[in-house]
Amino acid sequence: MVLPLLILVVVACAALAGWALWFVARDRAVILRQLFGAAVVEALLVVQAVLAGVLMATRDHAVDGPLFWGYVATALVILPVAAVWAFAERTKWSSVVLAVAALTVAFLDWRLWQIWGAGA
Amino acid sequence: MTRADATPADPGATPARRTGSGFGRLLVTVYGVLAFAALGRSSYELATKFTEAPVAYSLSTLSAVVYVIATLALAKGGPRWRVVAWVTVAFEAVGVVAVGTASVVAPDVFGETTVWSGLGQGYGYIPLVLPFVGLWWLWHTRPSRPHAVPRPGRTHDSSTTPHPEA
Repeated sequence: MVLPLLILVVVACAALAGWALWFVARDRAVILRQLFGAAVVEALLVVQAVLAGVLMATRDHAVDGPLFWGYVATALVILPVAAVWAFAERTKWSSVVLAVAALTVAFLDWRLWQIWGAGA
Repeated sequence: MTRADATPADPGATPARRTGSGFGRLLVTVYGVLAFAALGRSSYELATKFTEAPVAYSLSTLSAVVYVIATLALAKGGPRWRVVAWVTVAFEAVGVVAVGTASVVAPDVFGETTVWSGLGQGYGYIPLVLPFVGLWWLWHTRPSRPHAVPRPGRTHDSSTTPHPEA
């Protein structure tokens, strides 16, 4: 994993969560544009996962594989599922769901960084 | 079971509120994340190091399965699912308090940490708080008359039958 990409993912997650919390404060449900935002975060996660795979394969970087890829899979699943689950609700709670999901992904990404570093 | 499954046709009874709506959306989300985390953790433990601490890892697996069922039950929220939710959420409440306390008093018994160890401190105490929030939510969304029996004589009531002349 590379640090700049990690920071980018965490900042993107925080921005998405902030946007959703702003909607919570205004008593609004999630809008489609926020789901596009979630899709951007998801795309960054995919890039990060591919890059990690390439680095692992080429640089002989020792990582607890099952643990690392388990976290990668969890991080990748959360936003799509949460987006569907949030969008079906048309109250402010849909925005709360998106905010929680974005913050969870940020936390998982930080854990991924720890797991990656632990094997080095 | 058929009586509990019938939708209350009794006009005086308020139907149960959906457990997966409103605040329930958030509850199911947090449950889902925890279920996924617990399931991931236990599959990893079972696959890589089950023999090191069979008691702890069996417990991890059991709790993970119960979290998954509780998440589903809360999301679905029908009369039957509501019963499932009560049972699984109560099971977690008992589990986290019992195993959590035991893991603090006698850490050697479990050998390794589980989701419930130290009252869920490895997961920000969410496993400790969540089942009690879940129980509160199930109670909060309960139907006002859980055993309302449909009255066949009232089905042609004007409130339930649309007016054909409209």
